[in-house]
Amino acid sequence: MTGWRLALRGLRRRPLRSALSLAGIAVASAMLLDMVMLSGGLDRSFEQLLLVRGYQVRITPKGTLPFDAEATIGRGSALMAALRAEPMVASAAPVLGAALHARAGVPRGGGDPLVTVVGYGVEPAAQAIYEVERGTDLAPGDSLGLLVSAPAAGRLGLAVGDTVAVAGRLDAQLAAAAAERRFVVRGLARFLYDSRGQPSVATLLPVMQSLAGPAYADRLSLVLVRAAPGADPERLTGRLRALVPSVETNSVADLVVQFRQRMLYFRQLSYILGTVSLVVTVLLIATLLTITVSERLGEIATLRAIGVGRRTVVLQVLAEGAVLTVLGGALGVALGLATARYLDAILTGFPGLPAAFSFFVPRAGALLQAGAVLLVTGMLAGLYPAWLAARAPIAATLRAEAT
Amino acid sequence: MSLVLPLAALLLQASVSPVPLAVERRLADSLGLRVGDTVALAAAPDAAGRAAVITAIYAPAADPSSIMRRDLQVRLHLPDLGALLGAPDRVDRVAVALVPGAGPAATAERLNRLAFGFEAHPSARLAAESSRTFQVVDRFHRAIAVITIVASAVFLLCIMLLKVEERRLDAAVMRFVGVRRRTIFGALLLEAALVAVVGSLVGIGIALGAGALTNLYYQRLFATPLIFSRVTPGIVGFSVALSLALGLAAGAAAAFRLVRTPPMALWRRG
Repeated sequence: MTGWRLALRGLRRRPLRSALSLAGIAVASAMLLDMVMLSGGLDRSFEQLLLVRGYQVRITPKGTLPFDAEATIGRGSALMAALRAEPMVASAAPVLGAALHARAGVPRGGGDPLVTVVGYGVEPAAQAIYEVERGTDLAPGDSLGLLVSAPAAGRLGLAVGDTVAVAGRLDAQLAAAAAERRFVVRGLARFLYDSRGQPSVATLLPVMQSLAGPAYADRLSLVLVRAAPGADPERLTGRLRALVPSVETNSVADLVVQFRQRMLYFRQLSYILGTVSLVVTVLLIATLLTITVSERLGEIATLRAIGVGRRTVVLQVLAEGAVLTVLGGALGVALGLATARYLDAILTGFPGLPAAFSFFVPRAGALLQAGAVLLVTGMLAGLYPAWLAARAPIAATLRAEAT
Repeated sequence: MSLVLPLAALLLQASVSPVPLAVERRLADSLGLRVGDTVALAAAPDAAGRAAVITAIYAPAADPSSIMRRDLQVRLHLPDLGALLGAPDRVDRVAVALVPGAGPAATAERLNRLAFGFEAHPSARLAAESSRTFQVVDRFHRAIAVITIVASAVFLLCIMLLKVEERRLDAAVMRFVGVRRRTIFGALLLEAALVAVVGSLVGIGIALGAGALTNLYYQRLFATPLIFSRVTPGIVGFSVALSLALGLAAGAAAAFRLVRTPPMALWRRG
């Protein structure tokens, strides 16, 4: 306890110096915290996003990831029948995605009345890509019903109950829509994997296949699969790969690994900057303590002369490093959380990234891990100055101080 | 025109007259393909394949926007690709060269007024749209740089304060023997400037080394000639100027505190 009290007193003796050191450690530990959140947050956020509706497996066209390319899966109904016959499958949700064109009415002053939207064809009883926020969901067999996202509703000026014309294909030679239908907006939905501001609509799968044209008959872009209770998703993935080898089957864990590969840069950057932050903290604490010990050699020699042991002196120096680290780290947590929000706002501006995705995810485990690493680092930084303090010759130091 | 095909699609058995095909080097290397080899192409793994003879192996232009995707590419003549996809007479995009004097924005606007079923964009707008990813990365780097600069500034201020405080005995002695405050202040400031300049030169050396290692690592990782880290004269100038300014400011603040303190007080503090 004496060591801690002496350490605090030592820090109070030079308030400006201690304040500057604390500020330096706070900024460095804020950076460390941010980088710890970034390194683990990417995977965590992506995994949470994929599992938000409890579907653990994704089936996509061979060689692609969900909505990564315009490729589609053929013989969709046969695939769905095969999946639903599989005992390890609790639910399978087919999706077809394609560009559609909604007619917003002729804008004031002329111009193009067509708004290009992303259209999803779904089975409402088994879907995992949207949540209805207002109005009602599509009912089975409701071939007139349409769900729209907030950006689509905004751009088209739509509300629940409104009617809107949607075209699937535009024929440049005929200057007309090759397939156009009128829909009634049943509800406003939040599409879970949409990027910020993406205008989207959803309708029944057969309606979407018909709107998209003959090339899309019985085709799917994606199937989400939920494992039956007790079934292991990884085993199910392996089973489905064997069952339907002509498509790409990935568990959420597989997708996280592939995503990690794509986001390799950010993970490596977080490791590098995290390491730099730790080095800066070590340098700062070591420099400060070394100079402080050099200044207080006389005081240390006096303490030793009146019987204070080497161990106490070493502990005092280490405690000073620990106190600096703890105080600076505490400030760093607040600073780090604030900067993480700012940096997250920048990075979530990536085009095409789901709006619900987050790069910096605060996790208790990560915070504790960063805190422990920082504390150990701070104490290690005090080792050299502590060694200097412990080996100072008592008589020679006192003599030098006296002259 | 390029088509991204799943790797597996290339391995199907061929049965009809071969079409010419150019294969990118990475794909050729991974499948052990050479010019003159015949492969089969299909739009889907379960679709009927079409024979293709490799007439060229090429290195695609380095494209930062697709580097993380690591897609593998092949190139075919447009009619061959249309036939393969079952979508003859369809294209994804058309690049238009304008006659001298025609403005891209005005032409795009005119085409959009006349056209139906497609949208015309000036290349500059497309370039700006496609560079949004890099704008985000650039903003992120700038934000990190600001945090780093703040941390460096605090660190530098702290070190300068400690360094100057270390000189308090020297300063006290100089004051006792009649050296003026201004001279001591100038000497301490000069020392701070020297530390800042030498430190930033060492920093530039470290940056050059780290940049070379970064380029080496990522160029190997992504098999690309793209440059990932570049230390430009502008960056060097900015870094040296900033560290000099910070060093001088920190040194001046610490030296000012020191020369204001009475020499006896400095002497007593040892």
